[in-house]
Amino acid sequence: MKKNSFSYTYLLGFLLVVLTGSAFATPVFNIEIRNHLFYPAELTIPVDTKVKLLINNTDTSAEEFESYELNREKVIPGKSTGVVFIGPLKKGVYPFFGEFFPKTAQGSIHVD
Amino acid sequence: MLINAVIIILREVLEASLILGVLLALSQHNQISKSWSLKALLLGGLAAVMYAANLAMISALHEGVGQEIVNAVLYVFIFTLILAIVYCLRDKQYLKLAAAAMFGCVVLAVLREGSEIIVYIHGFSTIPDLFTPVLVGSSIGAGIGLSIGVFVYYLIVSLPFIYGVISGFFVLVFIAGGMVSQAIQMLLQADLISSELPIWDTSQLVSEQSIVGQILFAMMGYEATPILLQVVLYTASILLTGFFAIGSIKRTQQGNLL
Repeated sequence: MKKNSFSYTYLLGFLLVVLTGSAFATPVFNIEIRNHLFYPAELTIPVDTKVKLLINNTDTSAEEFESYELNREKVIPGKSTGVVFIGPLKKGVYPFFGEFFPKTAQGSIHVD
Repeated sequence: MLINAVIIILREVLEASLILGVLLALSQHNQISKSWSLKALLLGGLAAVMYAANLAMISALHEGVGQEIVNAVLYVFIFTLILAIVYCLRDKQYLKLAAAAMFGCVVLAVLREGSEIIVYIHGFSTIPDLFTPVLVGSSIGAGIGLSIGVFVYYLIVSLPFIYGVISGFFVLVFIAGGMVSQAIQMLLQADLISSELPIWDTSQLVSEQSIVGQILFAMMGYEATPILLQVVLYTASILLTGFFAIGSIKRTQQGNLL
């Protein structure tokens, strides 16, 4: 019985380390869509690291975050925030655009 | 704005239109009543409206990757139904099942592509200056996409029975592979499959942005920078569907079907 409770504590501790570890390991970057423009339009992220992009669409119209170089495509309805994971990536510049308003909604991820 | 609308809607319509065209042609060749198609379009359209209306809520599910999960599930279901269709067309006694699978396949394809069209067009309803050009562009894009589906239908129907079935299966095999590839893409984006570096990069050869790239994407899920898992599962799904297709063609040739 004692041995059992010990292993549960151990398991709980292990899970806690894994969970918090994974939460900390994924850096979060914010991008805002306002008047069909990306803010910031250029974003620098670390090399060989997975990151989480939080894309907040403040417009009333939907937008599609799209990038051929990053292999990503996600519809973000108006007045909502979309989550997109990217990376780990090699050094370089990865353009992205808003498919619904491609003339204005342009940006790029710089991996450094 | 108009040209952009044409391209976006064409891309969305093309995939569903191709699936519908091929399945209708296979129904014609196998003398299956095509009544499933109208019902499938109606139900798929209705489901697309509901999906589009709740997209923000669905997206927020599972820590913001609900949209990817739903899409991945839809792709896997479409793949499974294509597999069922290819299998069931080998024997008269399975034709009813084939028709049911065709119905399901078109419902899901219309739901998937239709919802994106609705979200896109609806977004412009608040921008009066752009709404008309977007509607015009969307209609042109939808028209071109549907025409390609109609063209594929007549092309396959015009062929003698066995060649019609072979070419219909041929298109379905690659669409099936594309569905599996896209499902993996969605799971990668949602970080449910851990990302890794692509095993090759053919974007210099055929860019995904180019017209050829877009057509290849609609027909066979072309991906310029796939990861290993994607290539393995894509190949496996094509081999499996192809294996079922060859089995059905052989059975058909032996005269089990009409």
